[in-house]
Amino acid sequence: MIAALRDRFDAFFGRGRFSTSVPVMDGPLQPNQLLEEAEVVVTRPALDNLASVDGAVLFSSGEDLFRLPRGAAAPAPIWRAPAPIPCVAVDGAGAMAIGVDGVGIDIRGGRHDGRQIRTFVSGPLVCPTAALFVDEDTLIVALGSAEFEAAEWKRDLMSRGRSGSVWRVDLAGGKAELVAGGLAFPYGVARAPGNDILISEAWEHRIVRLGSQPGPHVVLDGLPGYPARLIAASTGGYWLCVFAPRNQLVEFVLKERDFCGRMMADVPPNYWIAPALVSGASFKEPLQGGGVKQMGILKPWAPARSYGLVVELDRDVHPVRSWHSRADGKMHGVSSACEHGGRLIAGAKGPGYALDLGAVQGFVAELA
Amino acid sequence: MSVADTLTRVRYRYFPDHVVGEVLSKRWADNAIAFVALVVVVSVFAVVNGRMFSIAQLNDLAGQMSEYGLVAIGFSIVMISGGIDLSVGSVFALCTMMVLVAMNVWQQELWLAALETLCVGALCGAINGILIGYFRLRAFLTTLITLISFRSVYDIFIPDVGTRIVLGTPNSAIWEVLGSGSVGGLPYSVLVAAVFALAFHVVLSRTRPGWHLAAVGGSRRSAFNAGINVRSVVFSAYMTSGILCAVAAILYGAQLGSIGNDTGVGLEMLVLTAVVVGGVSLGGGRGSVAKALMGSVTVLVLNNGLQALSIQGSTASMILGFVLLGAVFVDVRWVKNKNKLLNSAYVSPAFLKLPACPETASDSGSPFAVNDALRDVEAIGLGRVEGPEDPLIDRDGNVYSGNRQGDIVRFLAPDFRTMEVYAHTGGSPLGMNFDREGNLVVCIGGMGLYMVTPQREVVKLTDETNRSKFSIIDDSRLRLADDLDIAHDGRIFFSEASYRYSAHDWPVDCLESRGNGRLICYDPRDKSTRTVLANLIFPNGMCCTQDKESLLFAESWACRVNRYWFDGPKRGKVEQVLALPGYPDNINRASDGNYWVALVGMRGPSLDLALTMPAFRKRMTRQVAPANWLFPNINTGCVVKFTDRGEVLGTYWDLGGLNHPMVTSVKEHKGYLYLGGVSNNRLGKWKVPGADPSWTGPDSYWGPRS
Repeated sequence: MIAALRDRFDAFFGRGRFSTSVPVMDGPLQPNQLLEEAEVVVTRPALDNLASVDGAVLFSSGEDLFRLPRGAAAPAPIWRAPAPIPCVAVDGAGAMAIGVDGVGIDIRGGRHDGRQIRTFVSGPLVCPTAALFVDEDTLIVALGSAEFEAAEWKRDLMSRGRSGSVWRVDLAGGKAELVAGGLAFPYGVARAPGNDILISEAWEHRIVRLGSQPGPHVVLDGLPGYPARLIAASTGGYWLCVFAPRNQLVEFVLKERDFCGRMMADVPPNYWIAPALVSGASFKEPLQGGGVKQMGILKPWAPARSYGLVVELDRDVHPVRSWHSRADGKMHGVSSACEHGGRLIAGAKGPGYALDLGAVQGFVAELA
Repeated sequence: MSVADTLTRVRYRYFPDHVVGEVLSKRWADNAIAFVALVVVVSVFAVVNGRMFSIAQLNDLAGQMSEYGLVAIGFSIVMISGGIDLSVGSVFALCTMMVLVAMNVWQQELWLAALETLCVGALCGAINGILIGYFRLRAFLTTLITLISFRSVYDIFIPDVGTRIVLGTPNSAIWEVLGSGSVGGLPYSVLVAAVFALAFHVVLSRTRPGWHLAAVGGSRRSAFNAGINVRSVVFSAYMTSGILCAVAAILYGAQLGSIGNDTGVGLEMLVLTAVVVGGVSLGGGRGSVAKALMGSVTVLVLNNGLQALSIQGSTASMILGFVLLGAVFVDVRWVKNKNKLLNSAYVSPAFLKLPACPETASDSGSPFAVNDALRDVEAIGLGRVEGPEDPLIDRDGNVYSGNRQGDIVRFLAPDFRTMEVYAHTGGSPLGMNFDREGNLVVCIGGMGLYMVTPQREVVKLTDETNRSKFSIIDDSRLRLADDLDIAHDGRIFFSEASYRYSAHDWPVDCLESRGNGRLICYDPRDKSTRTVLANLIFPNGMCCTQDKESLLFAESWACRVNRYWFDGPKRGKVEQVLALPGYPDNINRASDGNYWVALVGMRGPSLDLALTMPAFRKRMTRQVAPANWLFPNINTGCVVKFTDRGEVLGTYWDLGGLNHPMVTSVKEHKGYLYLGGVSNNRLGKWKVPGADPSWTGPDSYWGPRS
């Protein structure tokens, strides 16, 4: 009874559990414009799933998989999928696991070339969002949602979906084992010390560790955005891509189920009050008070539906530095990254740019 | 519209949610706390000890009120000025001694005795005032010292004077009547006190000295900077307190007829409790006679009630002490949080369902289709003018506009390189037009309707209109006069966009979409101002049509242009002319007999949906910070040309948003279109294909130059 009263009080004033406040970007996450100033490596629409293979950069653009060898002028398409490619994993020995949205995962190259993973015990692979080769025969697969395809991620967020899961697939034997279920859109998988794996749980804006302990164990919480891919860094830490910012108005709208339902039914997804990979293209998108241009200038700290953010995490999964593209920038929606030739390449899926963020070795010098 | 929608619309149209916010914004809203405290105390004691409210007891209470009330008024005047007067008890005692000595011992007339008492009170107050006002000593310590000093003077004289007062008899019939007479059941002393209370209420709330007092208490440094003589205001506050103590003492002396050693002891604590319970702020700047009186009644009822219950004096004091503590706590928290509460309660959204949005996609074939027609706009005054809402061009081709510093600036023809300040008006100059005599008539947001003569003299035409009967906010004031147009007979029709929001937060009116605007007519022939149409949803642009009988006006958040007939057979009618995919702003004439309207922003489906859900918007304004609120998209605009029959002739966009992302007004002159935007840092000039190269606005309205 006291709890119910306190809930009503909190709901009226927007405090406690009903708070819409968003963590501030400060300390290692202090905003800068490094993504805007970075050199462009290549550009293709919806550039995603960066990976480094045999001295070449691999990336997907819609349904096509491209390969850009070092020193080449333009990337060459190497494969076309029947649907947009939501995830790509490479094992460093020639094998690739390529996701196909709404369909499943295809293995190309290596020992299990031609394998197609279409269903698990729980149902069809509707939404493969990340994959990781533990060794040649074991693949970790993250499914973002059991209801919506990867391209419908916005619908899953606004429906407060929690139907994601992580599976360990034994490619040799063909068996798939559920590692964790009921996750809120796992979007990135990386190996942790021991036999554990780190998952970025997007809608809960946190990173959890699965493995030795029963159930997910939260290692990094309170991110100011929705995390995407986690990539193990050669320095021992991790690279975290954050594909969209958290916004106070979106947090508020998520609590208003009535409005959400009507908005999802009546309004096209590009114009929802929801995060986006890129914003500002159309005047039909929602605008917030701080986003009004004065004297022709959009303030960099304006509340935004899209943002560019790459974070470097250390061994203990704590942020140590970050690259940003602020509200008035263009390089938003960074969803993937890879290390290539000693340099960090990040892919901004919003405008479709791959950016060179600098040499990797240089960062080691700052860590003790 | 579905049944649910109709129900929602009716509920939000007729249930006055906005009243809560408006009441909170009033000065007398604070009285609610004191009133509630009074009601609680009275009801508790009525239940516990009903006899307390018999006629005889009430008469007694009224008599006590006449003294305490007056002293409380004086005390609160000092507190409003930011000080405190702890010596009221001693001054009261000295004045009572003076009046009784004068009446009983010296056997003087009442008027002379009263004059002498008032002088004593004024002298005591003046001592406080000089020390605190002119020598700038600390109020608390100084009045503590004068408390002790005056009480010592009293103690010196009381042994000698006390018995002589009791032995003597006064020589005045009026004195008897004042002490014990009554009229209509009320003692005369209460009537005298009521007259003083009313007089001081008027002075404090409606006269300049009263406002100066509150200004000094609210912010001493700002009052000094504004030119108020702070020292003399503080001095007069203390002197007034002394004089009021004297008046109270006269009434007390008339009732009691004698004094003792403990006359006035502890009065300052009682009055301090009364005044703080009433809601007069300890920090200064806030307070009124009503608050002082309500607090006095509350504390007197409490005090008398405790005595009637045979509670010992010291226990009663302790209880009063706790009451004072509670009152101070409430006062501090109220002062700290009142603005927060007001901000979160003020926005009162209403229901608005817009018709389907006209298509704007570039390949849709719709007359509103997006294009890049304004790509080659030339900039005027780039970076030199901030917020030119409405450009105006005179017959010589000079371009005028307002800016956000409150100037009307002018760019000289033909190259517009020279910019000069034509007139400084203050406020936010918005819509402008020339009248028949060449005066520049301008609507200034925050001020009203003004005019700049050709000799550059700024003249106020009107800044108030008739007040509506049931509005809590004083809507006789013009809060956001937006655009105007001048009829053929010189009558000026102008729009007041919203009486609840002003020039710096006008987009919040979209979150309300309540119909807070009106159309007003100023007639220069008899200098009258009259509201012509009310409950319009952000009326904005105004343009008189060629037929001299009607005008077109825009309702921004309702995304439509209407036509209003002010003359002729259809007089008084309003008809919708045009439904738009965005928010119309200023409307002006085109050279071919049609009209230009600027769209200051474009509709978006999420906001359109939110406008049909007022409870959602209300929760948003309460739970989300204002910088994150959903806003109308005023980052993009366009220009539409239309006929008065509602046919769209063309739409012109700046697709890249580089030159004119938002447009609030366009005016045509000699084949070119001049563009302005209230958030832009430039004016624009664009060649209109096929326009009459000799057409000018002033000629179209008033004929060729005479």
